[in-house]
Amino acid sequence: MRKLLLIASLAATALLAPFAAAQMAPAAPKQSLDQLLQAAEKARDGNRDDDAIRLYRRAVAQQPESEQGLWFLGTLLYEKKQYPDARDVLRQFMTLRPDAGPGWSMLGLSEFETRDNRRALDHLQHAMSSGMGDRTELVQRVFKDVAVLLTRFERYDDSLDMLLKMLDTNAQQPDLIEPAGLAGLRLPLLPAEIPPDRRELVGLAGRAVMALQTRHNEEAETAFKRLVTAYPNESGVHFLYGAYLMELHPNQAVPELERELEISPTHVLARVRLAEALIAQRNFDRALVLAQQAIQLDPKRASAHMMAGEALVAKGQSDEGIKELEIARADDPAVSRTHWDLLRAYTAAGRKEDADREKKEIEKLYHSNQPGGSSAGGDNPHDQAAP
Amino acid sequence: MPSLLSTFLLSFMLAVPAFSLAAPSPPASPSFEVIAVQAEAARTQDRVADAIRLYREGTHLRPAWSDGWWYLGSLLYDQDRFSEAEAAFRHLLPSPKYRGPVNAFLGLCEYETGNYVDAQTQFRTWANAGWPATPELRDVAVFHFALLLTRDGRFVESLYLLASEAPRLGDLPELSEAMGLASLRMRYLPEDFPPKEREPIWLAGKAALYAAQTNQEFNRADEFAARLESRYGSQPGVHAFRATLYGFELKKPEAEREYRAELEISPNDVSSMVALALIDLEKGELAEADALARRALDADSKDAEAHHILGRVLLAKGDLPASLSELETAKELAPGNPLVRSHLAMVLSKLGRTQEAKAESAAFLVLKNKQDVMASVQEKLGEDTRKKAH
Repeated sequence: MRKLLLIASLAATALLAPFAAAQMAPAAPKQSLDQLLQAAEKARDGNRDDDAIRLYRRAVAQQPESEQGLWFLGTLLYEKKQYPDARDVLRQFMTLRPDAGPGWSMLGLSEFETRDNRRALDHLQHAMSSGMGDRTELVQRVFKDVAVLLTRFERYDDSLDMLLKMLDTNAQQPDLIEPAGLAGLRLPLLPAEIPPDRRELVGLAGRAVMALQTRHNEEAETAFKRLVTAYPNESGVHFLYGAYLMELHPNQAVPELERELEISPTHVLARVRLAEALIAQRNFDRALVLAQQAIQLDPKRASAHMMAGEALVAKGQSDEGIKELEIARADDPAVSRTHWDLLRAYTAAGRKEDADREKKEIEKLYHSNQPGGSSAGGDNPHDQAAP
Repeated sequence: MPSLLSTFLLSFMLAVPAFSLAAPSPPASPSFEVIAVQAEAARTQDRVADAIRLYREGTHLRPAWSDGWWYLGSLLYDQDRFSEAEAAFRHLLPSPKYRGPVNAFLGLCEYETGNYVDAQTQFRTWANAGWPATPELRDVAVFHFALLLTRDGRFVESLYLLASEAPRLGDLPELSEAMGLASLRMRYLPEDFPPKEREPIWLAGKAALYAAQTNQEFNRADEFAARLESRYGSQPGVHAFRATLYGFELKKPEAEREYRAELEISPNDVSSMVALALIDLEKGELAEADALARRALDADSKDAEAHHILGRVLLAKGDLPASLSELETAKELAPGNPLVRSHLAMVLSKLGRTQEAKAESAAFLVLKNKQDVMASVQEKLGEDTRKKAH
């Protein structure tokens, strides 16, 4: 963590340089502030953190808008694990410097430590969008914590997307196993909140998800089989395995998803993915029933409307099918499969203008490389990104 | 860094007149007017740091500037700078214009700074004023008030508030967590419960949240409750929660079974004994009801509901003087409970004490019509009651 702090501090030094110069203006009352800041910096450089904290506190008391004082005080307090104090100081800093990405990251990390999870997530995401430069260790820490917090807030698919992107850049990240397992099993816990008797379950699921993403298919298959054998009655396990099988062996996915529905009768996504598998098998009647049940359970679930639309169109009920597909499009416009469904349905219905619009949307999505695709245990049914 | 520099220069330029005006001067100083205009401009242009600085200067120049304190407090609150926001909002306590909302904000600030007792006092004041707030402030303040009620062990009141928010807010993770804590009767805040408790809290919270939806999604509630029971069935509070859920679903035999299971694990759980006694009373099994109510009182002699149920059991058995005594104790302990008043009226009437019975009936009607459980008893039993009673 010392290294992380040093990196963050270096970044801030660069950010703060113009301000420090402005503070050097030869005004009489400023001298003591400057002296305090210089003494604090000397103490900090000499690893006399407690002295540095005391001096920065005095500087900030004298000039509450001293960015330099607030920043270094905040980061030093964080380093000393005085997280509530660090958080409060960094909040003052962020009022002055809302453009400072590293500031948002340090604030979010402090809030994460004080279990202020909602603000931690917001501020770490703000750090990501503001930019943290090329400070790899800080960036990785922020990405991981965001992924972990997304799971905690039941945004499993967003969390998996982030984790999988992290794996794309570096496959060897053992500290991602538990976050991946939690997101895959759709368990909204932080790694620190995993009960001891669940660690094996989460670890197995995480290894399976990671092996799948890094295209170690044999390893993934082994891990999934171990998971299902060891935890045959655990909620989420058969769904995860079924979602995996949908990619490689769609026919084998059906019994797994059905088993999940026996264990978790109101599992929305198991219904959606099962409907998808059944559509692939041209069992449109049952697929429609499942999709409609999923809509009843979760009316805002775009993928459920998409499956209902596909099943209805396939059954020859075009008008109703198009309505469902249009709801799916409105709820999640980034899923190209919905646009492809609509393109075909509009074309079949002779609605050329509507069909052309969908075609343009598909091209736009293709060029903007919007994901909208599937991931292990994810929401979106297998996307059709290309004709 | 031109924007930073200009910010610095602006603050420096503004500081000069501020200092000169800090000296005693006529209250309607023109510089105050200038600063007020600048503060407003900074706020509307989203220049938050400037706005905070200017409102500070303005309120320093004119401490009676209530709008200035309001904006200063609000801006600091938005920046999560709660102790500073609290200091600003405190200046508004005497202001009739901001009475109510300022109590909600003060409650929130005090919650965030860890002054939980003061926070609860502010929320209660706010509730007694009729919950005045924008919808956003109301949601946040009600939520935090409920968290504090849970921390205080007032789980029913907390759940009442949270459940009233649930249909509108939907499946919100923060809400389910708060409902989970109250449902499992854990006197914690979301930020301080032991991490190992997160899974049961989540499972209970999801069950409670689904049960509280407008269309009462009992299937989903039951699924989470079943998972909770299968994983944590030996943990105190889990069976009692399951029983309560069955009670909502009007599944009385299942509820009874779960209360009994809870008593196996927590033999002194007063709520479960009282609930079972009520089920017995409804079934006419008065002997066990009597025994359970007395056991509950042995465990906690100050439990109003235990006295209430014993009073009802004794009423059913025809022991009117003993029933009256228990119900009067229940009234003393929980003066805002309308049902206690109703049963008291019944006993008094049977004893021929008509005037007192009428007074209790009137109190019952007033309390029953005040759906707002957060209102104080004094507020619930206002002038109207006294008129009706006499």
